[in-house]
Amino acid sequence: MSLEQLIRERRSIRKFNGMPVPQDLVKRLLHKAEQLCSYDGEARWRYVYAGTPEARERLADYMIEKFQENKIVKLALGMLTESFHKRFVEVPANLIVFAKTDSDPIIHESSYGTVCRIMQNFQLLGWEERLGMVWITEPAIQSELFFKRVGLQEDERFVGILQIGYFDKAPKGRARTAAERSWTEFVNSGKQEEI
Amino acid sequence: MKLMDRSIEPQSSLQFNNHPVPQALILELLNHAVWAPNHRLREPWRFIYVGENSRDELAFIRTKAPGHLIITMKNESSTHKQDENLAAIFCLIQNFKLLAWDKKLGVRVSFYEWMFDQRHCQKLGVTDKERIAAVLELGFIHEWQDAVPKPAATLNWSLL
Repeated sequence: MSLEQLIRERRSIRKFNGMPVPQDLVKRLLHKAEQLCSYDGEARWRYVYAGTPEARERLADYMIEKFQENKIVKLALGMLTESFHKRFVEVPANLIVFAKTDSDPIIHESSYGTVCRIMQNFQLLGWEERLGMVWITEPAIQSELFFKRVGLQEDERFVGILQIGYFDKAPKGRARTAAERSWTEFVNSGKQEEI
Repeated sequence: MKLMDRSIEPQSSLQFNNHPVPQALILELLNHAVWAPNHRLREPWRFIYVGENSRDELAFIRTKAPGHLIITMKNESSTHKQDENLAAIFCLIQNFKLLAWDKKLGVRVSFYEWMFDQRHCQKLGVTDKERIAAVLELGFIHEWQDAVPKPAATLNWSLL
């Protein structure tokens, strides 16, 4: 598969088959993903992995905890929460990603940017191994309670969770807008810039 | 070659030559790179290209490179969506960087204080509905050598 093909044919996978995902493979891909990012300096991000049945169960519990707090909500959303929980427990492996924040906007932006680039390498490397992933950031997990449960520190921001697993069927791609349509070339106006 | 077997030169050791970077090539690579995952297909990016000869009026861009590609991001009302847009843009940037390396084109992903300066943004035509996500400095590699993979750093890894 050419690099162009890999990039164009990768899909986000939401439906996994039950085949177990070896933790060693995830680590190997992650190592390579960092290497291919060619960043300078120290790593300002970290990963928390949930791949065992116990850890997956715990993560799914955290994800629905917010809906369990209120009795009325719990009653009203009971069935929904249950299917939500089941869906999360079934995900073979989860990689939770955090990035360090910083008061310096440049460090702050580049840390987040770099870890996002690592995640893209990781998704592409996974695809080569027929390993599907989806990067979730959905509102259900955007809560202080959830962040606390998964161990987000005060000087960190939540980047997302990569749900990982093998799959039987990939969805069709949705066409992208041609880059030409989002392209502008800056040309000199001929006026001197005021400094 | 599989991505697994590829390597990329670290950003700090990239040396560009003076050859201009054809816009057609950048667009060709971008049209692959836009296959980045992005939430709800918002495609939150826009590209502003500044060639080597167009920098006269942009004194705030101090880095020398045959080409500058400024990537802007559509602003969103919530931090959560804003972060999603940023993430999508960095996925696109990484796609672009990998594709460019294959053409011996180096890409430095850079961040500067002027990115956050409204006056400079206006000068570049960045509207108030968007912001600059990153600046890519582009140039063909001076004295090409295959990159040597750097030793793997320890992962900041723990178990839930």
